[in-house]
Amino acid sequence: MGSPADETATGTPFVQVEDVAITHDGESTPTPAGASFTLRRGEVVLLLGPSGSGKSTLALSLNGLIPHSIPATITGSVRIDGQDAAHTPVATLSTLVGMVFQDPDAQLVTGTLLDEVAFGPENLRLPVDVVLARAEDALRRVGLWERRTENPDRLSGGGRQRLAIACALAMGSPLLVLDEPTANLDPAGIEEVYATLAEVVAAGDRTIVLVEHNLDQAVAITDRVVALDAAGRTVADGSTDEVLRGRADELHALGVWLPVSTLAALALRDAGWQLGRLPLTPDELRAAVDAAEAPRQARGPEGARGPEGARGAEGARGTEGAAPRQARGPEGARGAAAVIAVRDLTVSRGRTAVLHGIDLEVRAGEFVAIVGANGAGKTTLLQAIAGVIPVPRGRVRIDDVDPARTDLRTLSRRIGFVFQNPEHQFIAHTVYEELAHGLRLQRLPDDEVRRRALDVLTRFGLDDRADVHPFLLSGGQKRRLSVGTALVAGAPILALDEPTFGQDRARADELLRLLRTLNEAGTTVLVVTHDMQLVTDYADRTVVVEGGRIVADAATPDIFSDAALLRRAGLRLPPLRRALQGSRHPSLAGVTRLADLPRPAAPDATSGAPVAEAAS
Amino acid sequence: MTSLAVDPYAEIAARGRLLPGLNPLAKLAAPIPAMIVLVFVRDLVTPLALIALGYAVLLVGARLDLRRVLLIFVALPVAVAVLGFGMAVWTDASRVDQSVVVLAIGPWTLYGGAFLVGLATSLRLAALIALALIAGLTTTGPDLVRATVQQLRVPYRIGYTALAAFRFVPRFGHELDVIRQAHRVRGSHGGRGPFAALARWWGYIVPLLAGAIRHAERVALAMDSRAFGAHPDRTERHLVPWRARDTVFAVAFWIASLGILWALFPWTLA
Repeated sequence: MGSPADETATGTPFVQVEDVAITHDGESTPTPAGASFTLRRGEVVLLLGPSGSGKSTLALSLNGLIPHSIPATITGSVRIDGQDAAHTPVATLSTLVGMVFQDPDAQLVTGTLLDEVAFGPENLRLPVDVVLARAEDALRRVGLWERRTENPDRLSGGGRQRLAIACALAMGSPLLVLDEPTANLDPAGIEEVYATLAEVVAAGDRTIVLVEHNLDQAVAITDRVVALDAAGRTVADGSTDEVLRGRADELHALGVWLPVSTLAALALRDAGWQLGRLPLTPDELRAAVDAAEAPRQARGPEGARGPEGARGAEGARGTEGAAPRQARGPEGARGAAAVIAVRDLTVSRGRTAVLHGIDLEVRAGEFVAIVGANGAGKTTLLQAIAGVIPVPRGRVRIDDVDPARTDLRTLSRRIGFVFQNPEHQFIAHTVYEELAHGLRLQRLPDDEVRRRALDVLTRFGLDDRADVHPFLLSGGQKRRLSVGTALVAGAPILALDEPTFGQDRARADELLRLLRTLNEAGTTVLVVTHDMQLVTDYADRTVVVEGGRIVADAATPDIFSDAALLRRAGLRLPPLRRALQGSRHPSLAGVTRLADLPRPAAPDATSGAPVAEAAS
Repeated sequence: MTSLAVDPYAEIAARGRLLPGLNPLAKLAAPIPAMIVLVFVRDLVTPLALIALGYAVLLVGARLDLRRVLLIFVALPVAVAVLGFGMAVWTDASRVDQSVVVLAIGPWTLYGGAFLVGLATSLRLAALIALALIAGLTTTGPDLVRATVQQLRVPYRIGYTALAAFRFVPRFGHELDVIRQAHRVRGSHGGRGPFAALARWWGYIVPLLAGAIRHAERVALAMDSRAFGAHPDRTERHLVPWRARDTVFAVAFWIASLGILWALFPWTLA
């Protein structure tokens, strides 16, 4: 077994990935299909690629989990410090490669932070004093040493992920692989994890491979980028500058997600801005924009146009997530009748009040985001509105009914609720039955049930999956089905709890396009989320919940111009807002969404292909 | 999700007291002879005497917080009373002493004999519980696992995997709540009665299992990546040795409990 401290001859690279193709058992096409890169010690590499290109699969092959723990066929070679990962036991490789996974809860084994960090070194049979020294060092590096005797359950999501990093550090392995480490975290947690990672990088003693979709934070700590194409072949490999700045257009065309600041700069270039070096972070974007002069066309009335004007002019550049929303701002909806009215609602769990005196009105056709820190009560609020949890009588009114007094059949014609995990709400054995169930509950005649179920199947792109068990659908299909079941009874209001949690960008965008299509067709949408880009890109109105109270309720841009409020509520400015707030260019200063950026003159009518046809 | 009903990892704070410092295996082994005999005991006095022995050891050897005091002095006696009455009603009246009538409602009569049989049964169960509480209230999950690995030579892969599985319990409890909520919202709670309930619970199992298997796979990967199972043994930072006092405790408890049993033989109702 090689000791990690041994520095091999400087000539051979530390990590050597050569033309690696991995086919999971039961699948026919390999993803990745041909990934190659080499790393020297101390490099920090961001592994990019479109959704489904096999980034995570590749990450799991670096410490041999593929093929040793997850059966798969692997061709090509992965060598870590000269050892072939496909033929070296995972346990041996663990002294060379430490892993941090996406779900912080799935990485906990023991009952205290100290035991948790010591778990790995103990498995390596290190002497007790070495175990303790490593555990202390690792916990100090992530700032959790003072809390070593606590149960990991007491940590926040960000804290638990820092603990996972400490556990990987304590293995003493020179390579650290992080697979989507912030996908399950709220904005404050993401910030915490990146502050910790920045310190690890600054110490310079670890080679890091990072698979991540929160690129805006990630690029600040990486010095190299390896990009895969859709099939999982390496298409770019070089310094962050060379790849992200030099080949941004090419990567974007491949479907690789880029930092929002870079996307914004590309859009501005198209609109005629001379930005010089392509920015990667909000700070760089801000500097670049402030140094540039606004092009002539962007200064005129056209440049100052709001989302209304930008609508329909969605350029080919516009990423799916940034497609302009319907300009159905609170102003537009103000005339409409309130479909949800909450008056002085207090909800208690056990003896503690979770919500205090909530007043809220939502009008038909609005897209409302409910945001707040973990434990603020936002999910409880959504569940109380939708009748998922019992509420006192006379406090909530959905259209013309009180969820506390009405039966499920009536309520499900008014509002549909989509749970965070779609699997939780599946109750039938086929996709068709899943939809038919909601209709039968309405006591509709059989032919009507059939007609409407098939209609929904078609609308949500599931018509060829009608006889499949819901659990066998792909992740995106499951999500669409869960939205379909919520709406099948004809509910004009859709409530969603953390719909993009733990999903990659592409799948999140697919869902959001669906929501937008529904919203444009008149469905009122309420969504609880941590995803600030989702909020700024889609929600007309944002409700901030803190400590069980609504502390702010206003048009989304107004909420995001109050930095103090956001920070206090555990929220953060989305990257674009951070970059452009207070910009000296009036046409940019108020921009929070890519869609609001000045566009090139020629409008492009083709918008991102909608996932579903508009609800009628 | 953060509040655990039972935290199997919680440190049992009682430095200087006898029981928390003993090897968990000693605390498990000590009451075993008495527990085995209890299965054959039919009278009231023997279980009462063994309950008294168990409580005495607990009170002397462990520092009990309010929750535990309530458990042994309120919850357990109430359970004995309720269970005893239930058993008495359940008992076949034709096979018991019918000389004393405790209660008569119409044609139905509760005889003193049935009452005694019921009480004896519930006391027997209570005695088993009281003896098990000696280890149960003074031992942490990790210590028990360590002792089984260190003294009983149980492979650590099994012991520590079981310990990791403790973590699943609150998680699944939470997940089950969410699934029930979701199914209720979907209107899947078709009807009342045991069959509808069975069908309902069956509906919860698929999503719960799907989530459990996925979670277990992830935990397994995370443990593999941290060299779990790399070597036949692993470093133990916390040794749970078998000391002289463990032998003394176990043997003393055997003598005491067997003494009680000896004195009270043949353990039948008069």
